[in-house]
Amino acid sequence: MTASPTRTRTRLRGAASLLASTDHKVIGLLYLALGSLYFLIGGLEALVMRVQLAAPGNAVLTGETYNAFFTLHGTTMIFLAVMPMLLGFSNYLLPLQIGARDMAFPRLNAFGFWITALGGLLLYLSLLEGPPSAGWFAYAPLSERPFSMSLGTDFWAAALIFMGTGSTLTAINLIVTTLRYRAPGMGLWMMPMFSWMAFVNSVIIVFAMPALNAALVMLEVDRALGGHNFAHGGSALLWQHYFWFFGHPEVYIMILPAWGLISEVIPVYARKPIFGYEFVAGSTLAIAVLSFAVYAHHMFAVGLSRPVNLAFAASTMLIAIPTGIKVLNWVATLWRGSIRFETPMLYALAFLVQFTLGGVTGVSFAVLPIDWQVTDTYYVVAHFHYVLMGGTLFALLSGLHHYYPKMTGRLLGDTLGKAAFWLITLGFNGVFLVQHALGLMGMPRRVYTYPDLPGWGALNRVSTVSAFVMGAGLVLVLVNLVVSRQLGRVAGDNPWRAWTLEWATSSPPPAGNFTRLPPVKSRRPLWDLAHPEDPDHRRPARHDRTHGHIRPEEQEHPR
Amino acid sequence: MSGSHAAAPPPISRVSSGRMGMALFLFGDAVTFTLLIVGHLYLRRHAPQGAPHLDLSGTLVFSVLLWASSGTLWAAERLRDVPRVSGVLYALTGLLGLTFVAGTLQEWLQLVQAGYGVSSTLFFTGYYTLTGLHALHVLLGALALLVLAALRFRDRLGWRRRGVTDALGLYWHFVDAVWVLLFLLLYVWRGP
Ligand code: HEM
Ligand SMILES: [Cu+2]
Repeated sequence: MTASPTRTRTRLRGAASLLASTDHKVIGLLYLALGSLYFLIGGLEALVMRVQLAAPGNAVLTGETYNAFFTLHGTTMIFLAVMPMLLGFSNYLLPLQIGARDMAFPRLNAFGFWITALGGLLLYLSLLEGPPSAGWFAYAPLSERPFSMSLGTDFWAAALIFMGTGSTLTAINLIVTTLRYRAPGMGLWMMPMFSWMAFVNSVIIVFAMPALNAALVMLEVDRALGGHNFAHGGSALLWQHYFWFFGHPEVYIMILPAWGLISEVIPVYARKPIFGYEFVAGSTLAIAVLSFAVYAHHMFAVGLSRPVNLAFAASTMLIAIPTGIKVLNWVATLWRGSIRFETPMLYALAFLVQFTLGGVTGVSFAVLPIDWQVTDTYYVVAHFHYVLMGGTLFALLSGLHHYYPKMTGRLLGDTLGKAAFWLITLGFNGVFLVQHALGLMGMPRRVYTYPDLPGWGALNRVSTVSAFVMGAGLVLVLVNLVVSRQLGRVAGDNPWRAWTLEWATSSPPPAGNFTRLPPVKSRRPLWDLAHPEDPDHRRPARHDRTHGHIRPEEQEHPR
Repeated sequence: MSGSHAAAPPPISRVSSGRMGMALFLFGDAVTFTLLIVGHLYLRRHAPQGAPHLDLSGTLVFSVLLWASSGTLWAAERLRDVPRVSGVLYALTGLLGLTFVAGTLQEWLQLVQAGYGVSSTLFFTGYYTLTGLHALHVLLGALALLVLAALRFRDRLGWRRRGVTDALGLYWHFVDAVWVLLFLLLYVWRGP
């Protein structure tokens, strides 16, 4: 098929205007595309590592190459896959949810995206010079000149500074947008849950990223100018303190918007308002503060003093409380709901189970003797993949299926969607559940191969095979995304019958977002619009009684 | 469009977006500087040679010029609507900033010639990191101020650019304040 020259030209011009756009929706989609691309790359890197680990004594990769692979995999997944996807959702959704036309600084927004993309390019340009291989945590002195001679680590540091700058600018933009451009009548405590969490998340970003920047500046002073910050009289521990002062909040940077998505999805498919809005929102604030107060739990094994260890153990257990509150609230929202098992909801339910398991193993690390026993084993790898992949990524997929009709005007194919869901869920648990056992049996992480001890080979084989099952599922998601763009059923403005502002405008929304805003008097403006006789705000007593319980009108399957 | 009023709600708060955004950025920047300072102090315990080779009085001269620039900027903001005068004041502020950067460079040159480079002691590793990052801040701010002056002279600094001047003003005063701290820490204080 050959397109006519004029068609090609208009297409090209279309693409160019897309790339030059400052519309928050376009930038949001660009972020999502960037994140997906790098998720694919990071996923392929993971598969290669799993092939190497499939059998004891395998020799697909050398030790040095394995280190490069897992450094690139970790860095890519965190900074180039998960964060861009989350920022993409924030960019796309937050202005819509609060009834704004665009972000506060549209051009800064575009700049933030492009500088992030440039950072990604820099990271992979390091391949020309010898890739970084000191891990995504780049522990000094491993990351110092004598142990990382190639320029790879310098590329890595530069890439992180670029991407960190991009996310900081985006975060500042999101905060100012939230504070200044909410629809008339919408107080901060009336914002949809996703916007609330994206807002708090941005505050964490503004405070956490500078810590990484400080550490990277010091590292580069050492590497490029021969400074002594982390070696030759300096302190290697200082790197760990600074890195984790950024690194632990980074974990919450990755999980908060994911929680926001879950908090949007569950109420819609359970046909109930979220249970305990105040608690879900308030616990987010507690987490924002605590996320900085727990950072040294990554350093229990380096030999800090006993009081320090105990303080960080205590704060780590403490942070489980606001997190647990959220899980309880989601479960309570499901409780006696009128549940529709659409694909977004399936991902949300899988999220609940997997995230809880990841949370439980997380608390187990706060028990010092357990941490000393299992740190740097596959138990840790299992834990953080349950949180990051079983939590964050499943929430992202849930949000993607939920918001795809808003973004494109079409529904994702259902059969394909559900098939992919089952492959991914079974695959994911197959990969990482067994790693708890491997870790308890003592298999160290960050090693390119392992001895043939009883059970190790078999469990690793399960893990590798499952990784390919999951990979197949993720490819199906991609196929679904592309195919449904043309062939999906037309969605209409509000296919899931949700109650927040983003569903009040057309799908996809026009430039400027809204032609008219419904009045905002409660947390569910579209419910008020649909039920003028019984709005959320008019009858507080009734509201209290129905709060957390299903209203007869919302019953999907009459009991 | 009938509903276009509803579609563009007026900003809720009175602080300009520019000032708010810059304040947030500076919070983050303050974290960077704080961590670098804390790290420097921590490492300095192992660098008993301290700061004997720095030129306190020479540095004080261009430091005073930098601090004076906060005054000229303040005056420029007050006279923002008088094009010529405020244009001159913006330009003067930027030039004072550039003088400071030149002073820093010259001091570095002398130190390096005397044999005190980044790699010579723990003290100097921190010294160059902190003064370098700060000079970079001054340089960027000064260039932005010169752009502002040019806009002012061409009368292209209407009320729509209020946010830009607000933000830059905040930034400049912050950078000057950081220098007070760094000056005391690196040049005056001889501990620990
Ligand atoms: C596609 C599925 C995935 C598979 C099969 C996978 C597999 C692996 C493997 C084999 C390692 C090396 C472990 C070691 O040698 O210690 C690893 C490390 C890592 N992965 Fe993944 N991964 C996946 C997805 C993700 C996701 C979604 C993230 C999230 C952000 C992530 C973050 C990381 C990080 C940060 C490390 C570095 C671990 C360390 O610090 O030692 N991975 N992964
Ligand atoms: Cu942590």
